[in-house]
Amino acid sequence: MKFKAILTDYGVALLERRFVPAFEKIGKTCHVYLTRVHITLLHNVLNADGVQAVAQFSREVIFDDYQISSQNDDRIAFTVDLTLLSRALKSSVSMDGDKLLVKLVRKRPSLAEGRLPYLTFESKGHRSAIIQDVPISQPLNRIDVQELQSSLDMAQALPRTLVQVPDLQQLQGLVDRLGKVGDVLEVGVTQYGDLHLQVSTPMVSIGSEYQKLRVIGVRAEPSSSEASSSTRRLQLALQKEEASAVSVSMKHFAKSLQCYLTKPDASFCGVAPDDACLLMLFQYFKPGTRQTDNTISLHYRLPVLDQGRP
Amino acid sequence: MDSAATQEAPELAVRCLLDNVQGLVDALSCIRWKKQQDAICELSEHGMVITVEEWTCLQARVYFRKELFREYQYQAGVRPRFGVSLALLIDCLHTFTSSTGTTALELCYPGPDMQLLLKLIDANNSCINAEIRTRIPESIPREYIIDDEGNLPISFAVKSAALKEVIDDLEWPGSNITITLSPAPPGVSFRGEGHGDLQIDLPYDTQQDLFIAFQCNRHVSHRYKYKFLRATTSQIPNSILKDNRGSKVTIGSTGLLKVQHLISVRPTHAQQHHYMDPSQVHARVSYIEFYVMPDEDDNNEGTQ
Repeated sequence: MKFKAILTDYGVALLERRFVPAFEKIGKTCHVYLTRVHITLLHNVLNADGVQAVAQFSREVIFDDYQISSQNDDRIAFTVDLTLLSRALKSSVSMDGDKLLVKLVRKRPSLAEGRLPYLTFESKGHRSAIIQDVPISQPLNRIDVQELQSSLDMAQALPRTLVQVPDLQQLQGLVDRLGKVGDVLEVGVTQYGDLHLQVSTPMVSIGSEYQKLRVIGVRAEPSSSEASSSTRRLQLALQKEEASAVSVSMKHFAKSLQCYLTKPDASFCGVAPDDACLLMLFQYFKPGTRQTDNTISLHYRLPVLDQGRP
Repeated sequence: MDSAATQEAPELAVRCLLDNVQGLVDALSCIRWKKQQDAICELSEHGMVITVEEWTCLQARVYFRKELFREYQYQAGVRPRFGVSLALLIDCLHTFTSSTGTTALELCYPGPDMQLLLKLIDANNSCINAEIRTRIPESIPREYIIDDEGNLPISFAVKSAALKEVIDDLEWPGSNITITLSPAPPGVSFRGEGHGDLQIDLPYDTQQDLFIAFQCNRHVSHRYKYKFLRATTSQIPNSILKDNRGSKVTIGSTGLLKVQHLISVRPTHAQQHHYMDPSQVHARVSYIEFYVMPDEDDNNEGTQ
């Protein structure tokens, strides 16, 4: 099993300033999954509970001189502590060296111990060099790697309708405030481009409706019932099967909004088929353009709570 | 328009539009001295009064006059009065402050099931609405009147931040606090006796800058429970302290203490254009009043 590559400046900036900080907000560790084509960061994908996050990059976005080999079809996966990874990336940036080499190694931390796996960052500056060993888990076995791959394949099943989420920071402000009223958030997405966020407790029902959002996938024209309330509009849309609504944990939803750290250019929200989960999907533009950069993707999957709408 | 509820309940007693939701949140936050408090909201042709009480020892009222609303439509025969959780009301109103602040919050009462209905339609095709369940209040809030027996009321006024600082400092001795006002030498003193003694004197002669007003023609001294005294200033939001208008403290002949805070409820920057009339800007002040009963063990004669 071998892995060795040179981190590009853009790759370091992407990881250090955007994606690793966003992942740190939702958990302490993540899986790093390397294949011949992609580098993927996955958080919590082998558990059914909690927010799952998957960020995938084409290898050329992050690395130059990419060399990978393993007996498992050149696939390597391991777990890394995000704080340690972030620290290693930060100090590599401060070195401002020529090249930042990353490789998988096995070392003895002390004479008394056996050899342990590390992700080593070698940064060579003009006058000095720095080597940082970030401890990682034992590489995942064939079965676990296959499980990671399956969870990635599952993400291909997109919701029938996705709506573009408005201003993320304003939404975060709203969700922070709604969180004080209740712990469960009902999220409704209609094919007309409406997004409903609702908190209902015995004492209060409070929510926000965003209308006329951009729709990706199946869309429909709203009926002319302009006079009805937002709750009624969602009910009618659900009856006509032109909407999906699920209940999710307010904490999970708030965590998923930490994605703003990755500076997405477009954010979408939808309910996965069979109400399996709430999906938050993020797009990035090629720098200086409004063209979607297909070499970077990020999505969050939020588990649906039992008390969802029937 | 999100008007299903209003269509089913055409007999709205009150419908009003409020520009500065944060102003109402700040005012209500001043009277939230513990997590769970039942508030009584009374609506009248003059505006809105929200009252909270702690036993019969402490009462707080927020007066939100109709001038503070962009529109205030009142058409009830009998003044509507309902109970609501203060924390819930503040948290719900706070949610509406996340909007862009260019449009006004609509408050209506009663909804079809006697709810308080809140709605805000923002410029960017978004709408926030809330229905807060209300309850029939079990009792009518007590009316406290400062009885001066024909004398001039004993009072002083200082900046709100100064009063808060004095009361915060008295936390150390805790227990009961004696407030004394005397005409000669003119001044106010706060004395706490508990885990130790602490006396804070505010002499009127030497610290006239501190005082906005001082009115005292006889010696007055009464004792109050610290926890009630603390409630009068502990929750004043920083935005109000920064504005620092003033707080007036009045003591009645029976020792009833009234603490009144004045807070400015200015329109947000985005709403300034609605208030070009300077006189209207000046009128945008809300009153918050606290009434604290003297400690029952207060065997002090009180006045001399």
